[in-house]
Amino acid sequence: MEYSGLAARALDTAVARGATYADIRFEETRAERIEIRSGAVVTLSDTRSDGHGIRAFVEGAWGFAASPDRSDAALDATAARAVAIARAGAAIATHRFAIEPTGRHTAVYATPVDRDPDTIAIGDRIALLVEAERALHSATSIAVGRAWIDLWHAEKFFFSTTGSNIVQTIRQSGSGLWALAVADGDAQDRTYPGDIGFYQGGGWEVIERAHLLDNAARIGEEAHQLLSAPQCPSATTDLILGSSQVSLQIHESCGHAAELDRIMGWEENFSGTSFLRVEDVGSLQYGSERVNIVIDNLLPHGMATAAFDDEGTPCGSSDVIRNGLLAGFESSHDTAAAIGAASSACVRAQSWEHVPMIRMCNLNLLPGDRPFDALFADVSDGVYMESNRSWSIDDHRLNFQFGCEIAWEVKNGKRGRLLKNPTYAGVTPQFWKSCDAIADADSWVAWGTPNCGKGEPMQTGRTTQAASPARFRNVEVGVGYDG
Amino acid sequence: MDECTRTALVQRTLALAGKSGLEVLVTSQQSALTRFTHNAIHQNVDASDATIRVRAILGKQTGVATTNRTDDVGLREVVTQAQRLANFAPPSGVEPALVGPQSPSPVAAASTTPVDAERRASVARAIFDVAEEHGAWAAGYVTTSASGLTLANTAGLQASFDATDSGANVKMNGVAATGFAERYSIDAALLDGRSLGERAAEKVRAGGTPTAVDPGAWTVIFEPAAFGELIAHLTDHFSAQTYIEGSSFLTGVLGTRVFGENVTIRDDYTHALNPGQSFDYEGTPTPPLALIERGVAQSIVTDSHYARQLHCANTGHALPAPNAYGPQAMHVVVEGGEKSTQQLIAETKRGILVTRLWYVRTVDKRATIVTGMTRDGTLLIEHGRITGGVRNMRFNQSIAELMRDCELSSEQQRTGGYAYSLVVPALKVPRFTFTSATAF
Repeated sequence: MEYSGLAARALDTAVARGATYADIRFEETRAERIEIRSGAVVTLSDTRSDGHGIRAFVEGAWGFAASPDRSDAALDATAARAVAIARAGAAIATHRFAIEPTGRHTAVYATPVDRDPDTIAIGDRIALLVEAERALHSATSIAVGRAWIDLWHAEKFFFSTTGSNIVQTIRQSGSGLWALAVADGDAQDRTYPGDIGFYQGGGWEVIERAHLLDNAARIGEEAHQLLSAPQCPSATTDLILGSSQVSLQIHESCGHAAELDRIMGWEENFSGTSFLRVEDVGSLQYGSERVNIVIDNLLPHGMATAAFDDEGTPCGSSDVIRNGLLAGFESSHDTAAAIGAASSACVRAQSWEHVPMIRMCNLNLLPGDRPFDALFADVSDGVYMESNRSWSIDDHRLNFQFGCEIAWEVKNGKRGRLLKNPTYAGVTPQFWKSCDAIADADSWVAWGTPNCGKGEPMQTGRTTQAASPARFRNVEVGVGYDG
Repeated sequence: MDECTRTALVQRTLALAGKSGLEVLVTSQQSALTRFTHNAIHQNVDASDATIRVRAILGKQTGVATTNRTDDVGLREVVTQAQRLANFAPPSGVEPALVGPQSPSPVAAASTTPVDAERRASVARAIFDVAEEHGAWAAGYVTTSASGLTLANTAGLQASFDATDSGANVKMNGVAATGFAERYSIDAALLDGRSLGERAAEKVRAGGTPTAVDPGAWTVIFEPAAFGELIAHLTDHFSAQTYIEGSSFLTGVLGTRVFGENVTIRDDYTHALNPGQSFDYEGTPTPPLALIERGVAQSIVTDSHYARQLHCANTGHALPAPNAYGPQAMHVVVEGGEKSTQQLIAETKRGILVTRLWYVRTVDKRATIVTGMTRDGTLLIEHGRITGGVRNMRFNQSIAELMRDCELSSEQQRTGGYAYSLVVPALKVPRFTFTSATAF
């Protein structure tokens, strides 16, 4: 659909009503989902949503209004509402949170797609999941199996009063497996490939990359074995995390901590703040020298990969942690300007009806220098954990406790017996400082998280934390089972 | 979108059914939220949308499609796509049954108070005034919404419900301590910024400069916002799905005592603090239901699928199709006890008052063990009085264990998170396990 005429009308209305800057984002989205649960199709759905959201800047305050109606009258009304809302905030403002964006960009971008999901018959998609779910029942204790596919497609059209005209096609896909084993009052679950599946930017090739059929029987068997496995002991010991759990660790203890809106108190009442301060850049030792964490919003297969963010800033890459030192933040136009920096283009909105805000985008731990197996070599007594089951961290992003689905003892450099209910706990900088080894690029995976929650009204963000397995020394494990 | 407009949309959609069974759900919502920090508004939004969700049933095959296009082309496309998906679906064991016409039921839980950005700003301004009087700064939100739904199907069902809602929450930030207060009501006129601000500021005053205490087992009183976070992690255990599958702590123990005799938990859409719709998303009536009655596990909630599977009554707790989560209790009410919260505090020799919890997550579902943090008003009780703030702590605790030996306050309050809305009193427990502490 051609939106430039509609955009011009809405932006003219906003300016006529008093906005000194305005932008409008039209979106046409489609979400297809199939889910099999214990042999039955519990979800076979196709959801489409079209609409527009308008941001208006008036006297130092923002207003945002959204509507699905593209009529002239509705566009005028939405623009007028955005201006009126901004003015209501400005009327009681004691200080400004924002300055007008100035960028002007014209571009067209599309997520690279190797295999268009539309070329895969729905019957074939269902058959893949039915077979994979059936294979999960590889042991008698498997009470529930789940297998699912998500296919997402968004057409985004961004226009601003500074002259930006940006068209982007974003494609993302994902799939996963879940098995629940139940016996003797215990319930143990296993997921594959990660606890929330395997999500990346791209088309059907992302589903193929997950290799569901090759792994379903093993996942079912592991869930069954966990029922009779010993409890993960309580100890302070060496900990090796699989790459999907490292991804979660980055997400919770680095990604959210380095969001500049949190640091400035914009999320204070809900998602919380951060232990980081603006003045910590260049001086705060966040982790060991091996720890390098970067924003890369052009990452191949990244869930947040795009050419521009949702306020029209070009995407790129920048450091958050360089050789263990805090180096920068995830930021927006407003927050970056407040500290005299450039936006890191980490602004996204869940949909046309959500206001753009700072989101963790692609935030990756750079790979290390040794093969995965070498992480075990000099561990005499430790634990290897895989796949997240529980995650909790305080509202300053310091005190965390995470649990995994499965673990193995590590004795004298070898993986030993299975352990159930593994958990570990720590404090963010101390934990990252204990990182003494990161596996190399051969085991580096771009793990997408499609359900990151933040903001009020709550928005779901899609983010990627690429990671390799990593090793941490002297970590408290086996917490949480005395309560 | 009013009921007449929604009904017209439903009828236009049903007219496209052809030979398939069709269930049409039209939902509309206008919601606005004014968010503030550092005593100023930094985000101000207002969004409206209407969606048409179609469930097509072809014998034992089902497909669901959703759109927000309300023109003829959009309606035709969404029906065609739902029917197309149904054609691809492997047949289920039993043909899904559509609910027929039902008796008239309450059609609204709505107020007529007009709300706009100025009204929300005035509530926020009152909160800022309190903050400034206390040398503090406030962060929070004021939100208002109006929503409606109409559900109809080719078996003759038609039901509608309209609602308004409003809410405000405040985190007050002092020099060293923080405090929290919240209020929700279907009538935005009841949002009193000054009162909320003062409650949150009182927590800051009481907190002073929080000191560290040792983690371990403590007597703890949870105010409703904190207790609600814990109860929210129990609600899925009342679902027939988790019950059958074995991940619920209620599996195999229905009819037995699972909590203390003073604990009664209901699902009740008629409660004055949290009124809701009287039917579920299949159109089945949802009468008030005792889940836990004087400590005994009384009922689980079902929908048509699980009622058939369990050979029991359909309690009317279906979620909108497609639903992979099973039936859910959406209006949980924990009944209050005999004593006021002040009495519970006065009878505490040494303990901790928890205002709010954060990031509560399941560690072990079957054992109902959760972990999480305290925040925004963690206060020390000594000899029946609050004597100061303590630094926040992490806990690991089985919720079911807590409810076996507890006291409940006489005052109930509606509390909410982004995923739940509950009515609960305050809770006092003699032994709650904190496992680590923070420096703030």
